[in-house]
Amino acid sequence: MADKSDELTKIVNDKMSQIENNNNRFGVGKITNMKEFIVEVVGLDDVFFYEKINLANKALGYVTKIETNRVFVAILHKDEELTIGDLAYQTNEEYMGEFSEDALGRMINIFGIDQLIGKKFQNQEKVRIEEEPIPIMDRTAVKRPLQTGITGIDLIYPIGRGQRQLIIGDKKTGKSQICLDTIVNQRGKNVICIYCAIGKTKKEVKEIYYDLLKKNAMSYTIIVTAFNDEMPPVLVLTPYYALSVAEKYMKKGYDVLVVLDDLKRHADAYREISLISGKSPGRDAYPSDIFYLHSRLLEKGCQYKNGASITILPVVETKGGDITDYISTNIISITDGQIVLSSKNFQKGEKPAIDYGLSVSRLGGSVQTQDMKKLGASVRRKLLSYLETREIYELANIDEMSKELQEKIFEGKKILDQLIQPKYSPCSENEIIQKFAFLEDKKNG
Amino acid sequence: MEIGKVLAISDINVRVYLEVENKVKIGDILRIEYKDKQLRLEVVEIENLVATTIPFYSVIGLKKGLPVYLEDKGIEIEYSRQALGRVFNSYGELLDNQAFTTIRKRNVYHDNLSLSSIEVNSDIMWTGIKVIDFFSPIAKGFKMGLLGGAGVGKTVLIKELIHNVYQSLSSNAVFVGIGERSREGKELYDEMKQSHLLDKISMVFGQMGENPVARSKTVYSGLTIAEYLRDEEHQDVLLFIDNIYRFVQAQSEISTELNRIPVENGYPTTMISDVSKVEERINSCENGSITSFQAIYIPADDYTDEAVQTIISHMDGQITLDRKVAENGLYPAVNVFRSTSKLIDPEKIGKRHYQLVEEVLRYLSRYQELEEIIAVLGIDELSNEDKNIFYRSRKLRNYFTQPMFVAENYTNIPGKFVAIEDVLTDVENILQGTYDSIDEDKFLFIGKYE
Repeated sequence: MADKSDELTKIVNDKMSQIENNNNRFGVGKITNMKEFIVEVVGLDDVFFYEKINLANKALGYVTKIETNRVFVAILHKDEELTIGDLAYQTNEEYMGEFSEDALGRMINIFGIDQLIGKKFQNQEKVRIEEEPIPIMDRTAVKRPLQTGITGIDLIYPIGRGQRQLIIGDKKTGKSQICLDTIVNQRGKNVICIYCAIGKTKKEVKEIYYDLLKKNAMSYTIIVTAFNDEMPPVLVLTPYYALSVAEKYMKKGYDVLVVLDDLKRHADAYREISLISGKSPGRDAYPSDIFYLHSRLLEKGCQYKNGASITILPVVETKGGDITDYISTNIISITDGQIVLSSKNFQKGEKPAIDYGLSVSRLGGSVQTQDMKKLGASVRRKLLSYLETREIYELANIDEMSKELQEKIFEGKKILDQLIQPKYSPCSENEIIQKFAFLEDKKNG
Repeated sequence: MEIGKVLAISDINVRVYLEVENKVKIGDILRIEYKDKQLRLEVVEIENLVATTIPFYSVIGLKKGLPVYLEDKGIEIEYSRQALGRVFNSYGELLDNQAFTTIRKRNVYHDNLSLSSIEVNSDIMWTGIKVIDFFSPIAKGFKMGLLGGAGVGKTVLIKELIHNVYQSLSSNAVFVGIGERSREGKELYDEMKQSHLLDKISMVFGQMGENPVARSKTVYSGLTIAEYLRDEEHQDVLLFIDNIYRFVQAQSEISTELNRIPVENGYPTTMISDVSKVEERINSCENGSITSFQAIYIPADDYTDEAVQTIISHMDGQITLDRKVAENGLYPAVNVFRSTSKLIDPEKIGKRHYQLVEEVLRYLSRYQELEEIIAVLGIDELSNEDKNIFYRSRKLRNYFTQPMFVAENYTNIPGKFVAIEDVLTDVENILQGTYDSIDEDKFLFIGKYE
């Protein structure tokens, strides 16, 4: 009899210490299967969808799928390699990103770590990775300009506060430079900038940080990073996290500018996860919800009813100048316009290398002041007409052309010259209007 | 009534173990209550005692074992005059935060019309948009497809049609926004309100930030209101759908989550029947007519895309927008070779119009060939006849651009409504060489030539 009660006490004590060892949680499961960054856990019966899971104090993940007798956990961060049989602890909390307002001027990641020193920020707060969609009736018209300081953009394809404007082009055409120029030009304009680097190398991000620091732009900028070598789920969640942070600031009344650099890499990370989890591939092997991945992300950009806004500049890298591939057209169909950069123009030294024929702003003049709108519409019409004519009459003898045609070609060339602008040398509205004074002079003279 | 428990969960797929037999049908709505939320789900598959459902909203926080209840009604939307002037979401819930008392609701799934009740009508409806009236005129009861890749101007064209057709007609209209930008939806609402046109239009939105289940139901909800206006109010209804491709897209997202085997490019196996079910509901009968304008997105600029082709097969006419035309700054960026309608027939639009269309197409297709020749040889090497075709075609091309009312913001030129008679006369004059001495730029963004 005494033996039995001893045995019972031992069992109870064992169980108690087990619970204590397991961070005081009852829900403990075991890893039974591992595939890249997705692990299968058996025994976690009480978890909820998206719950944070501690994997044997070695790794951190969240529940992505619950099945009858197992759950799937996506790993976000790993300190040590896992093995089959490792324990998985339930946490009873939704997986959230961590953020600190001290991150202004710094570089932060989804785990709330100050990347510059590798330590967590003080004053942490939790940020939901993805908030509910912003209701359609809580949005108001996008009307106020967001000045980039770039003549070709502010005048011809303007960006408004609350607009989503895609920056698209091949490698080395100055995509990131346009975003950086825009951030630098927000100094003193009461805009909080978030530069979200997705899948960039550490070196690239560090250079961007020093560039912004040198231009005194870090005081109102947060760099959010998911480096190239991080887990694909981190790469996928980071832009959502950046937008949640932006939403927080917007609801406090700030205008926010978010740069997402770049979404092609983001789509590829998502494809990696989808295919590894066994979803059937669609066009170009992307899963069929690849459009939704970006549409719900970019729909966070808006002019909000409280007067604040989120402007998003997503960046997409193309190959061979083809903007009609699957991911590019998906994103073009979400954004409110696109700035297309051409490597041909870049090589010719026409910088910023904007392809004026393919670029579009769907909001156009409604985000410009009256003067800019009037000038912009006329410059755009003349420029496009000139570019088209130039192509057709490339072989024609200029001396034999009608006087009207000669004038058009001369004027077109001059317009194009005025649009060339070196980096980090922003133009104000007045300067832009001055540049094109010759159009008015001609009309009057 | 409680009918079971949650068994398995993923993004848009929740499986339910049914404890009560023979109670649940496909299309039924189930409800789960957890934390302080209520989640509704639609049953799409049943296998023995396991029902597969698709959730209306996000499933974050959902747990296995939670009790599941059966709702006594499916997805319903207002089926009365009260729907006019209001904004709904895909599930028939109001979005505009204004007071509302329902009179009568109806399930959004409804049978198609039978062959005997379908009317074939053909009164021509002029839109005042030169390129549409000339190349692909529209009749009452037509289904017009507005095709285009990303960012070539589908939505602007739809808005111009709302401006020109809806505002000039006294009939009611329904706008269905599927998987498009929320910003545009709100702007349309504001514009309608400002121009006091809101009381004749109903709007249903399931925009691109919503989950695929919401996006796939929008069209059914919108159609139910259109059917009310047709069948109960005996109206000639205008139906604007922006964008019907997004319906197929949402269906394929759901289908993937249900682990069904896809066809080409990941589209669902049921795509053709899904589209047919929707399109067959958009018809006219003795009660009234539905004229629909359906924007069709072309993914990756691939005109041969399965979904696009499936949808086009239901259309009576199509207007195709082209990136190459847009690139040259010519708006609306219509590709005239891919734009036509069933009305292009001498018996329907008259011999004069018909012959002019034929002649213009002949000129423009020769122009395309000439462009290539010029790229190599230059203009001077062309024969006189070809030179005439070349210069007149450029004028025609410019003439078919038009300032649009809804695009005044981009162009800074007020919109123009052009009567078809003026279009025919102008085109005749250009073709006959009456305007040979006039500079081609004078034809850009004008109404009729003056």
